[in-house]
Amino acid sequence: MRRADIISGMVLIVFGLVMLFIVIPTQIDTAPDGFVSPSLVPNMMMILITFLAGLLIITTIRNKAKDTQEDTAPPISKAELLAFLKLGSVFAVALMLYLWVAPLAAGIAIIVGSLVALGERRPLIIIVMPTLILFGIWLLFYKLLGTAIV
Amino acid sequence: MDYLITGFSHVLNPITILWVTVGVTLGYVLGALPGLGKATGVAVAIPMTFYLDPVTAIAMLIGIAKGSGAGSAVSAILLNTPGEPSSAPTALDGYPLARQGKAQKALKMGLFASVIGDFISTLVLIVLAAPLARYALLIGPIELCAILLFSLTFIGGLAGKSLIKGLIAAAFGVFFATVGLETETFIPRLTFDILELDSGISLVPMAIGMLAIAEMIVQAGNMKKLDAETANMYSKGRKKEDNIVTASDWRRSLPAIFRGTLIGSIVGILPGLGASVGSFLSYGATKKASKTPEKFGTGMIEGIAAAESADNAVVPSSFIPLFALGIPGSVIAAILIAAFVLHGLTPGPQMFQKQPQMVADIYAAMLCASVILLAVGYAGQRLFSQIIRVPIRLIIPGVMFLCCIGAYMETSSVFSIYVMLFFTVIGFIARKLDFSFVTFLIGFVIGPNLELTFRQAIQILDQKAINLIHHPIAIIFIILTMVTVVWIARGSGSSKRAAKAAEVDKQTKTNKEGET
Repeated sequence: MRRADIISGMVLIVFGLVMLFIVIPTQIDTAPDGFVSPSLVPNMMMILITFLAGLLIITTIRNKAKDTQEDTAPPISKAELLAFLKLGSVFAVALMLYLWVAPLAAGIAIIVGSLVALGERRPLIIIVMPTLILFGIWLLFYKLLGTAIV
Repeated sequence: MDYLITGFSHVLNPITILWVTVGVTLGYVLGALPGLGKATGVAVAIPMTFYLDPVTAIAMLIGIAKGSGAGSAVSAILLNTPGEPSSAPTALDGYPLARQGKAQKALKMGLFASVIGDFISTLVLIVLAAPLARYALLIGPIELCAILLFSLTFIGGLAGKSLIKGLIAAAFGVFFATVGLETETFIPRLTFDILELDSGISLVPMAIGMLAIAEMIVQAGNMKKLDAETANMYSKGRKKEDNIVTASDWRRSLPAIFRGTLIGSIVGILPGLGASVGSFLSYGATKKASKTPEKFGTGMIEGIAAAESADNAVVPSSFIPLFALGIPGSVIAAILIAAFVLHGLTPGPQMFQKQPQMVADIYAAMLCASVILLAVGYAGQRLFSQIIRVPIRLIIPGVMFLCCIGAYMETSSVFSIYVMLFFTVIGFIARKLDFSFVTFLIGFVIGPNLELTFRQAIQILDQKAINLIHHPIAIIFIILTMVTVVWIARGSGSSKRAAKAAEVDKQTKTNKEGET
């Protein structure tokens, strides 16, 4: 985690400075006279984050402990990254279906897409699971609670 | 007291009990489904109560709130996906216990702690609503700002392994809470000309993304390991003690439950703090009071007891400012105002004079709901505990779908899904880099109140810190904040040293064994 802490500290410092000097001044107007500035708290938080990120780097470097397995191993494993990309793609497809086809198609895509992405290949499960979940949700919201989702 | 006895006679009839049971069951199921919390449950159920008499209707809605408060522990314990931020500390020890094959023990303790916290807090509401509300009036913006700052620092320091990272996460939470129209000048802040951001970032999709979807991605990445653990868990013979709360568990957990109930009741009375602050403060206090704080996060049953008792104690006590002053102490109390008004009860000091019997009926219904919650939860937990046997690849799609519905229903707009996905990415990175995403969420929840009270404090104090002299409660909390930072920083330093010493000790032993 040591290297990751230093890198994340550096990223946070850059982020904090960009927010302080570019984003906040352009995105928040000045207040009329007599009001507390609307950018006061966002600025304070960014100053705090930048300061703490610097402190994180310093304390990590000062920690002279030998590199252990945890220090050298990357914080995100290859399998986690792959899962992130697979499920991200499922959401991307579902969003496209929501916008261009119908919300129901998006719902089916999320369930079936993630089942397939996670390695499920049994046709019965792939058909029965979305059917049961969608039916259960319809029963709960449309019949029992008497409200619509869309 | 006479009113309360009459209240019980009004409530203890088959129709009202049936509707309270329906409410508690519905709330328990909604709470157990990741992504659907008590706010969603009560808001959705309000139209269902149109045709019920006022007491039955309000009792049913309170039953939903109580049921979902306890039910949210189910998904936190079994799936490590708390539907609400307030259940996040429950997952810290509940999920490891479930992975050790002690899901039923964890669920039972979660339920018992919830019911005890809820019941005692309801008694606090009944006995102390009016007198305590007068003291709540002593808490002005300056005092509240100091209390919020203290809570955030305390939670930031205890939630993760590093105080610095916890504070960074908390600061980010407050920062994101500033997005949207500023309340005094109505100047848009950090909205990037996106109309939906004018009303700020919605908590529900954000929490669902950070807590549930991000966790599902992490679990998808470790699917083989988790499924192997499950198979191993059930191939071994199971002990009876793994399914029940033993006398030793009770001995360890009772102090945590009473501490949690006290903390939850106090937090509920103070408007703006909320159940998340209560459960985390309670978890942190129990961890600090423990002789083995380093074992927290590995499956300590008192961790579940502390978090759940406080989480559920917040709900009834948050009605104290609502009933006595007309000020909602929590999101759920704010939603319930609509239901109260709809059924002819206007919350505020006058309701004790104008409708004392109806207030007593509601108190009686709340106590009945606590008992019904115990029965419903106990019957349901055996069924819910079977979820742990289901392979992860079959759980993830269902949870993701429910999360999308929960996020979507908040605004009935696809923008909520974008928000959910954005914060999924942040939650995933925060998890992997060990930044406390829960502290982030708590910072976000109390951020608007923190900012508002801070701005009011600046104006009240005339921008002079010396004027704080007239606010001793605020001074106490500012000092407590500073003491907490030093205490936690020193504590984490010494625990790191202890861990390092233990590692060196272990290495020496291994070397010696190698030599022999």
